[in-house]
Amino acid sequence: MIVRSLNGLGDLLMYLGTVLRSALGSWRRREEIFDKSLLVIQQSLATTVFAGFFVGAIMTLQFTLQVQMFSALSYLGALVTSATVREVGPLLIAFLLSGKIGAFTSAELGTMKVSEQIDAIRCLGSDPIREVIVPRFLGIIIASFFLLSFGLLFSFFGGLLMATTFSGLPWEQYLSQIPRVVSGFSILSGVVKCFVFSLVIATICTYRGYTVFGGAKEVGDGVVQAATQTMIALVVADWFTTFILEGLINV
Amino acid sequence: MFKVTFASLLIETLQSLFQQGVRVKEVVKYLDHLAFKSLNIIVVCVSFAAAVTILEASFHMKLVLHDDSLVPGFASMLIVRELAVVVMSLLLAAKIGAGIAAEVGQMKISEQIDALKLLGINPFNYLVLPRLVACLIAGVLLSLIANAVCLLTAALVTTWSLDQSMAFFMTAFRRFVLMKDLGFSLIKGALFCGIIPLVSCYYGMTCEPGAGGVGRATTKSVVSSSICIIVLDFILTLVFSSFY
Repeated sequence: MIVRSLNGLGDLLMYLGTVLRSALGSWRRREEIFDKSLLVIQQSLATTVFAGFFVGAIMTLQFTLQVQMFSALSYLGALVTSATVREVGPLLIAFLLSGKIGAFTSAELGTMKVSEQIDAIRCLGSDPIREVIVPRFLGIIIASFFLLSFGLLFSFFGGLLMATTFSGLPWEQYLSQIPRVVSGFSILSGVVKCFVFSLVIATICTYRGYTVFGGAKEVGDGVVQAATQTMIALVVADWFTTFILEGLINV
Repeated sequence: MFKVTFASLLIETLQSLFQQGVRVKEVVKYLDHLAFKSLNIIVVCVSFAAAVTILEASFHMKLVLHDDSLVPGFASMLIVRELAVVVMSLLLAAKIGAGIAAEVGQMKISEQIDALKLLGINPFNYLVLPRLVACLIAGVLLSLIANAVCLLTAALVTTWSLDQSMAFFMTAFRRFVLMKDLGFSLIKGALFCGIIPLVSCYYGMTCEPGAGGVGRATTKSVVSSSICIIVLDFILTLVFSSFY
């Protein structure tokens, strides 16, 4: 099993290499990429905003209970914002996006593969990776990066709203401590995480769709696999990014 | 033609529970199929999530208190109250939810659900109820496991990267985490997992014909169950917070 999963990982990395190489010359296809990312944003914006808002609200609820034990309620805003921006926000919103974008993309690509449309493109003498995969790949990266950042922004508002209504903390006080704890590095690490996560979602979902083999049932299996594998990869990538960023700050 | 709304699905499923009882054999089958087969993914993901939590918590503690001796207490509290169960159920929403929606949707478009009705079998009792019961049981069991694995990894990471002893972690854990935290966590796990089969069966049963329809039903069910879990989490946290 270990050999098989390593094998799969190697295939995935080689696929990523091919896609990145084809992506280099894709500037002249920018309109198509822009269209794709606009489509993805349109479909997922409401979900992301909603999820971000509730993530912020939940974090505020939890932290209120913990911080109250130490009667340090004035730190609430700082802690919630810092934890959400650096860690919880990107991860949970990326979970949702992987379900939404991932399932959609791998189903679409899988259907194209199974109905031999991808082979048809190859027969016409052009490269399916350049024609079909690269626009989606880059489109998803741009779109999820935008969506994740937007979700983070709304998680901040969710936290602020809950703090004023549930914890009874005036919003000036909630905001006042934020600059002390949330440094530029925290925001940077949140943004870096958003970028890494969007890369993970785009790679695995297009790969799963592209390598489907068989019929309609296999497309369904591929979708489920894409969703679960993306989530595992997200958690591992999260750990990895935190680890590297921690290392960077200590140097 | 077989038509269903979310309310009627809920009512008919509960009704069939009292009229026809639960098919125990099916429940056992789905317990194996849905819960046991997801165990390895949950263990891997939850342990990575725990490692990240410890690293992040120590970063914040150092920033605010200039000392990370409170990390074990806070991290174990956060893990038991929130993290383990939510990460687990979001994973299950993708794995189980997509599977159920695809399976039921496939049955719907190949008219197997209509065939079940013709044979005099209540589709809610046969399809929805066993999955619901299995997921409720699995939710409790899996959240127990997820909590245990998460805490164990957190303890290991603390000893490894923060230079604190395992005994220190355990003492802090005993001081900070109450028995009712665990109880609430199990209730959360059961309810989060219970919402997944209901939502996915609903989308499966309202699936439009064709392979595209099944794909759309799968996507919708994953997204809706994830959102339901997050909203339910918010509501439950609000309710439970009045017990402290």
